[in-house]
Amino acid sequence: MSGPNDRAGQDVLRRVGEASVLILISLADGPKHGYALIQDIKEIAGVELGPGTLYGALDRLERLGMIEPLPADDRRHPYRITVPGAAALRVHLESLERVSAAGRLRLQLGGI
Amino acid sequence: MNESRAPRLVETVLRCYPARWRRRHGEEAAELAALLLRDGTPAGSIAGSYLAGAAREWLTPRPGRRLSTAACALLVAAGSLGVSAGLLPSTAPARAAVTSQHHGPAHCRPGSPEPGPGVSPALAHLRVISWETGHGRSC
Repeated sequence: MSGPNDRAGQDVLRRVGEASVLILISLADGPKHGYALIQDIKEIAGVELGPGTLYGALDRLERLGMIEPLPADDRRHPYRITVPGAAALRVHLESLERVSAAGRLRLQLGGI
Repeated sequence: MNESRAPRLVETVLRCYPARWRRRHGEEAAELAALLLRDGTPAGSIAGSYLAGAAREWLTPRPGRRLSTAACALLVAAGSLGVSAGLLPSTAPARAAVTSQHHGPAHCRPGSPEPGPGVSPALAHLRVISWETGHGRSC
């Protein structure tokens, strides 16, 4: 596994915000449009994403090349995760897992 | 909120977004709001989220919008200066009344709008401002 200082393995999602990460996770199993994203994120994370937050995060992720819009289906624009987006999500989740494991271990050692 | 007023509120808030954003997401955003309203999401919460999104959209620097952002910042600064300047003359008599017991140098008092000989009205105004910022200290 590449280290955190390796550019290819760098966690570029560290600073994009929770909403963007949740959107990428939601898109990981297939394209979705705005309403489906809000519903899915509510189901998997219990987070109610506001529509303004959603569009801001979608625009940011698109600028970063992590997602791309698909041809409009009626008035709805579905989005799909790109290959770099999936790679970045994988690195971010691995980083979260490391932090989470360290946290659990320290709680155990501290006996709290 | 009244059922007919909720979509209108969202529509109004969506107009706060830049035109480029509205061309791209406008119709979908309105439809999404309608679906969320149908699900029982409060109109105020939807409008608030879109309003915050619009503010972020205007404040996020983008290539080609640097000039307009700088112009907006200058306008805001100029506007706030104008408001402060506009407030000063209106508060001056009240302050003068309060400070009339204070025996400071006569030319420091905001209640003496008459410029001295050879002093232009603009400079006299500046003197008032310097008194305000100096909080009555010797000028």
